[in-house]
Amino acid sequence: MERYWNKDIECMPREEMKKLQDERLAAQVKHVYENVKYYRGKMDEMGVKPEDIRSTEDLHKLPFLSKADLRETYPYGMLAKPLSDCVRIHSTSGTTGKRVVAFYTQNDVDMWSECCARAITAAGGTNEDVVHVAYGYGLFTGGMGLHDGSHKVGCLTLPMSSGNTDRQIQFMRDLHSTILCCTPSYAAYIGETIRDMGLTPDDLDLKAGIFGAEPWTEEMRRSIEQSLGIKAFDIYGLTESSGPGVAFECCEQNGMHINEDNFIPEIIDPDTGEVLPEGEVGELVFTSITKEAFPLLRYRTRDLCVLSRKKCSCGRTLIKMAKPMGRSDDMLIIRGVNVFPSQIETVLIEQGYSPNYLIEVDRVNNTDTLDINVEMNPDQLSDKIKDMQDQEHKLAEAMKLMLGINPKVHLVSPKSITRSEGKAVRVIDKRRLIDFPKK
Amino acid sequence: MSNVKQISVFLENKPNQLTGVMKLIKKSGINVRALSIADTKDFGILRMITNDTDKTCDVLREAAYPVKVTEIIAISIPDAPGQLSRVLDTLGEQDVNLEYLYAFTGTSDKAVSFVLRVDDADKASAVLTDAGIIQLTENDIADL
Repeated sequence: MERYWNKDIECMPREEMKKLQDERLAAQVKHVYENVKYYRGKMDEMGVKPEDIRSTEDLHKLPFLSKADLRETYPYGMLAKPLSDCVRIHSTSGTTGKRVVAFYTQNDVDMWSECCARAITAAGGTNEDVVHVAYGYGLFTGGMGLHDGSHKVGCLTLPMSSGNTDRQIQFMRDLHSTILCCTPSYAAYIGETIRDMGLTPDDLDLKAGIFGAEPWTEEMRRSIEQSLGIKAFDIYGLTESSGPGVAFECCEQNGMHINEDNFIPEIIDPDTGEVLPEGEVGELVFTSITKEAFPLLRYRTRDLCVLSRKKCSCGRTLIKMAKPMGRSDDMLIIRGVNVFPSQIETVLIEQGYSPNYLIEVDRVNNTDTLDINVEMNPDQLSDKIKDMQDQEHKLAEAMKLMLGINPKVHLVSPKSITRSEGKAVRVIDKRRLIDFPKK
Repeated sequence: MSNVKQISVFLENKPNQLTGVMKLIKKSGINVRALSIADTKDFGILRMITNDTDKTCDVLREAAYPVKVTEIIAISIPDAPGQLSRVLDTLGEQDVNLEYLYAFTGTSDKAVSFVLRVDDADKASAVLTDAGIIQLTENDIADL
């Protein structure tokens, strides 16, 4: 039987939820307009007053916010509460530039942990569970987010943080961890390490995993599920809107339910900013309607995905977002073709290779080059060079079919590509150092 | 048929790769009898025959090297003009395809030894026996 953390909200009829959203949105716009000078300026520029926003239908009238705005207003420009009301700061990893810092009041922290509690419950977690949090703790939201959610559910919480994989596995075995929370790439690495130690999933008590903070594919999900003997659930979030738990997966494992009582999603055309109808692929935009300290309205996530209101078998009425195809930040434009690292991962797992890979993009004589380093599969080692080169060619062919451009595939030694304990670094784009214009 | 085991190891084509393998072999007191490397731009396949195949594989696998064992044919022929040509003709006449070969030294200065990797080892072995070409066994090589 499906369990809910907050059935009233998670299964609320749509009309009621819409009413709740309308009320919260109107109050939030007023709160922001009165307290955030930067956003007030943007609204005034467009001639929009708080009174103009009465319901979700009016949302499109509001100006967008982007990462650039957050950089411009760093660190206090988006703050809507006095610092004396704030209790916590988190920050983005800053991989795509200057860091963004986000502030939380106690209510904000409570809302966030409520969202994570819903995710843990949807993954089957109860107060009988031992939740093993191997996300990094600290400024990164992953560790603290799942940690607080686990507390809320009443699970026994293991604040492992990331790294020291042997110790992670020892604790998992000695203390019978049942739910693992970390990045998917670290989950894959833990699975690999368990196999290398001569252990099987039967040596562990894990039953579920909650993985997020980076894009991952269905193929990777299956591979992690097998290597750890678990059901793997996706979780979505971003520091700008709180952290993990903005959306979470249910037993259907087919898209993530957005916590609509706190976040209103929209899908827009990334070029024109126009709102797209349900079912179309576009950039995901979130409006936080309950956050107090750092309330972002119409924040552009750069994540490309699809929304769906189709009835879900789990009983939740919360709208679902498909697994993002990747942040538009992750998207590489190579010889004019859009390439997502997740596409490369899909091919590798299909062909029996490790999902650890390294993409190198460069520009030689004004032409983009794409090199993919792939760890060879020891089971496919042949004494004949011809066979080994066939493997490279076959992989390059499969990549070409998937990507539409011809990459160079290089087989490298197993385990020679650095394993990630947090967010994996998969791409080295050397072009940016020279003349690649960055958005 | 001959049952000589050859060990293949995957190595990246960059400095200090072969030395890593050889250090392990030295430490384990293993003696290499025959060796060759086939190289590509990205990687090489080290092929070798040692005096203790099982131990060699264990040591290398322990150190996480991708290792594979294949059976090859080892022959010993007189060190004289035209001898290798005779072997190749014998195989060619019977449509046996040679994938690769490499030479190694035995104890005699009047004979030279070769590793032959063919597509059909059973057939090649029979053909060579019929032609009176001496095939070495694993023991022969270990005792060299």
